[in-house]
Amino acid sequence: MWKDYSSSYIKNNSSSGLSVMIATFISAMLLSLLCGLFYNAWKYEVERIELDEGGWHSRIIGELSTDDIETIKDFENVKDAEINKNGYKGTEPTADIYFSDKKAVFSDTRHIAEQLNIPQDKIIYNYELLAMYLIRDPGDTAPRLLFPLFILITLAASVSLIVIIHNSFAVSMNARVHQFGIFSSIGATPKQIRTCLLQEAAILCTGPLLAGILLGIAGSAVLLRLTNVLLGSDASGRHSAAFGYHPLVLILTLFVTVLTILISAWLPARRLSKLTPLEAIKNTDGSQLKRRKKSRLLSLLFGVEGELAGNALKAQRKALRTASLSFVFSFLTFAVMQCVFSLSWISTRQTYFERYQDAWDIMITVKDTGADDFEETAMIQRLDDVESAIVYQKAVAKRIITDEEISEDMKSLGGFAQASVNHVTKVDGGFLVNAPIVILDDNSFLAYCEQIGIAPRLDGAVILNQIRDVTNPDFRHPVFMPYIKVPDADENMVSVLRQSGNEEAAAEIPVLSYTQEVPVLREEYAKIDYYELVHFIPASLWKEIKGQIGNAEADSCICIRSRENVTLDELNALQDKIALLIDGYTIEQENRIQEYETNNTQIHGMMALFGGFCILLAIIGIGNVFSNTFGFVRQRRREFARFMSIGLTPKELGKMFSIEAVVIAGKPILISIPIVIVVIGYMLRMSYMDVGEFMTEAPFVPIFLFMSAILGSVALAYYLAWRNIRKINLAEVLRDDTMI
Amino acid sequence: MEILKCNKVRKVYGSGGNQVVALDGIDLSVGKGEFVAILGASGSGKSTLLHILGSVDKPTSGQVIIDGTDLSKLNQTHAAIFRRRKVGLVYQFYNLIPTLTVKKNILIPLALDKKKPDKEYFDKIVSSLGISDKLEALPNQLSGGQQQRVAIARSLIYSPALLLADEPTGNLDQKNSKEVIDMLKLSNRSFEQTILLITHDEKIAMEAERIITVEDGRIISDERRR
Repeated sequence: MWKDYSSSYIKNNSSSGLSVMIATFISAMLLSLLCGLFYNAWKYEVERIELDEGGWHSRIIGELSTDDIETIKDFENVKDAEINKNGYKGTEPTADIYFSDKKAVFSDTRHIAEQLNIPQDKIIYNYELLAMYLIRDPGDTAPRLLFPLFILITLAASVSLIVIIHNSFAVSMNARVHQFGIFSSIGATPKQIRTCLLQEAAILCTGPLLAGILLGIAGSAVLLRLTNVLLGSDASGRHSAAFGYHPLVLILTLFVTVLTILISAWLPARRLSKLTPLEAIKNTDGSQLKRRKKSRLLSLLFGVEGELAGNALKAQRKALRTASLSFVFSFLTFAVMQCVFSLSWISTRQTYFERYQDAWDIMITVKDTGADDFEETAMIQRLDDVESAIVYQKAVAKRIITDEEISEDMKSLGGFAQASVNHVTKVDGGFLVNAPIVILDDNSFLAYCEQIGIAPRLDGAVILNQIRDVTNPDFRHPVFMPYIKVPDADENMVSVLRQSGNEEAAAEIPVLSYTQEVPVLREEYAKIDYYELVHFIPASLWKEIKGQIGNAEADSCICIRSRENVTLDELNALQDKIALLIDGYTIEQENRIQEYETNNTQIHGMMALFGGFCILLAIIGIGNVFSNTFGFVRQRRREFARFMSIGLTPKELGKMFSIEAVVIAGKPILISIPIVIVVIGYMLRMSYMDVGEFMTEAPFVPIFLFMSAILGSVALAYYLAWRNIRKINLAEVLRDDTMI
Repeated sequence: MEILKCNKVRKVYGSGGNQVVALDGIDLSVGKGEFVAILGASGSGKSTLLHILGSVDKPTSGQVIIDGTDLSKLNQTHAAIFRRRKVGLVYQFYNLIPTLTVKKNILIPLALDKKKPDKEYFDKIVSSLGISDKLEALPNQLSGGQQQRVAIARSLIYSPALLLADEPTGNLDQKNSKEVIDMLKLSNRSFEQTILLITHDEKIAMEAERIITVEDGRIISDERRR
C-alpha cells in the first residue's frame, strides 16, 4: 500500500520530487568534491613529504654496518632498511627504516635500537609522514591540522547542507500533512509514516546521489588539474599533483552523503510523524499567519495586492529562509569577491607590473654564484636583444649612524624614536642600523654612476640617502626625505660597513655619492625595515671587502631589459639563448610578460573557482525557490481560489505573484549592497586606494549579471508556478476536499 | 455488553483566562450493536467527544474505555494501532487518499497491519454499500455520496468495535444523505456494528435508536427511541 501511495505521489508530483532530487544531487556533488579534494590534498602532502624528507618511517643516526642493516631487515615488520650517507642534517649518516605496519613504528624502532645497542636518543621519526596516517606519538608536539581541518570543513558542509536541503524535503512532505493526518486517523503509527517518507526519499535520492558522487569525483579531478595549471606545477616548492582515488574515499563519501541526506529527510519526516491526527487533519493550509502582521511598505506601494503578497511571504518565511540565506551569501560573496579581485589586481598592477615594467624583462637567478665570480656578464650584455643586463648580488651588513649624521628632516620626525629594536640598536656614539649591500657588476656600476651624474669609479659606494616618513602609513603614496646629512664636498666621505653579528669586523669604503636615485632593478628597498641604509658597490670592491663583511646571499641575479615592445616569444627565445650561454650554472628564469600572463590566469582562475562557489550557492537558493513555488502550487490554488471567489481578477493575482518574486530576489540584494559598500570602503581605506581609481575599474558588469541571473531565475520559477495556478477552475478547487 | 464507557470525561482547551471547557464531566455507556446519535449545536462539544472516543485527542481528565481498553493509557503508537483495529472513523469531508484507488483506500487499515483482506467480507461490504463497480476509480472520480460510502467501507473493513461518524451527511445533498444514513443503519443491522453518529441535524439523529443531546459540554438528555 505504501509503495502504491509513494509511487503514485512521486509520479503525480514530479516538480516537488525534482527539487528533492536537485537538492540531493548538489549535496552529493559538493560532499564528493570535498572528499575527493581532501584525499588528493592528503596524497599530495604524502608525496611532498616523501620528496622533501624521504619516505622512511624512522631513522637511527650513526654509522651502521651492513650486518646491522641485515639485522634490522630481519625484523618481521620491517619492509626495508637502507643506509643514507647524509641522512641527518645533510652531514651525518643514518639507517632509514621502512615498516609494513606503520602503527608499530615506535615500539619496533625502540626494540631495534635496543637489539643493536644504540641509545634511544639516536632514533628520529618521520612525524610529519606518520601523522598523515593518523599515527601520532606524544613526542610529536607539532600541530597536524590536515585531518582536524577536513573533519571541521566536512562537518560544516554537512550541517550547512542539512540546513539548506531539509527544506526541499519539508516542502514535499508538508504538502501532504492532511493526507498523513488521514492515514494517522485510520491507524498508521508515527513509525509507519516516517518509514514511508524515508522510503520515498530513498527512491528519489538514490539516482541523484550516485550521479552527484560521480560528478564530484570528476570535479575533484578537474579542480586538481586546474590547480596544477593555475599554481604552476613547476613553481619552486610545488610538484605536479596527480589525481588519485581510493575505494575507502568512496565509502567515506557515501557514508557522509547518505548521512547528510538521511538527516535532511529525517528532520521533517520526524516532525510530520509526530503530529497528532487532529493537528494534521486540521492543517487546512500550510501558509497561515500565526499572528497579524502588517506589510506597510508593500501595501503602500502596491495596494491590497502588496499587502496580500507581504502576508503570503511572511507566512512562507520559514520555507523561504534557505533561499534568502543562499541569495544573501551568494550575492554578498560574489560581489565582495569581484571587488576584492579588482582591487587586488589594480594594486598588483600599480605596485608591481607598472612600477617595474621598465625595470626588467627577464630575471635570472644564478645559483651558488657570487656577482664577483660570474664571468659571462659581458657576453650577455653584448647580446643583440639585450638593452641592459645587470648582474647583482645582495649582502647584509651593519653601519653606525651618529647623531650628527642624521638629517634635519629625519630629526624633525623624532630620529630613531620610532624604530623597532629588531632593526635599530642604540650603541655608543650612535645607532647601529642595517646596511644592505647591492653588489653590481663593474660595468653596470659605472653606468649607474653616469646615471646619477657622478664620475664613474670603481673604488667606492653610492648610498641611497632616503627614508620614508614613518609617521605616514600610506604605503601607496609614501613621502621620502634625506636620511643622513650629506657631508660637504671637501670632506672625506667614507662609510664603515660592519659584519652583521660581529660588528667588530669592519671595512671602511669611500662614498662616491649620496643619492635618491636607484639603479634600474626589480628591487624594493627599506620595505620592512624603514631605517636601513642601502649601499650600492661594484663587484671589484666587494671582492676586496667580502672577507671582513661576509653575509652575502648565495645566489646572484641577472636583471635583463630587452628592447621596447618586445613580445613573449622574443623573450622566450632570448631566455633560451642566455641559458645556452651560461650552460654551466644552475639557473632559474622568469620573464615579465609570462609573469603578467600567469598572474592574470591565476586571478581569473581564482575568480572562476570562487565564482563557481557563488553560483553553486545561488543555485541552491534558486532550487529552493523552485521547490517552494512548485510545492505550494497545490496549497495556493485553494488560497487563490478564495481570493478569486471574493472578486480578485487573474491580473491582480498575477501582480501579487510578481510582487512576491521581486521581494524574494530583491530583498537579499538590497541587504547585501550596503554590506558590500562598507566592506569595500574599508578595504579601500586599508589599501590607501582612491575611490575614483577603484570605481573606474569596479566590476559592475559581472555583479549586475549575477544579480540579473538571480532575479531572472526567481521570476522564471514564479512564472512557471503562476502558469500552473492560473488554469484553476474556481468551482472545482473550492469543492475539492482533497485540498483541505 | 458494554462496548464504550466514559467516566467524568473533561476536556479543557487553553489556559488561564483563555480557558474553554469543551467537555465537562461526560458519563456515557454504549452497548454492543447500538446505533447512537449524539446531537448538539455547533460548539456544544460533540466533535471533541468524537475525537476523544476515536483516540485522536486525549481528555484533560476522566476515563474512556472502549472494548476493555483504557484510552488514556495509550501512547501515540498504541493509540494509532487501537484506531486501526478498534475504531472506524467517518468524517464530514471523506478524507480519502486522493492518489489511491477506492479499493486501496478501503484496505488501508488492513494494509497497515500487513493483513490480507477476507475476500468474502470485503465483497459483502462493497456490494452492500453499492460501490463494487467503483473499486478501481480514484476518489475524485466519484460523487460526494460515493466517496462517503468508500469512507464507510474503510471504517468497517477491520470490523471495529465502534464506528464513529462525524456529521457524515454534512457535505451531502438530501438524497445522498439519506443513502448514507441507510448504509450506516444497514451496517448496524447486518454486521451488528456499534455506531456513534455525531450530528447537529435533529432529523438525522431521529434515525438512530438512541439520542444523546449535548450542550455546553454536558449531556443534557439521553433518550432511547425504541
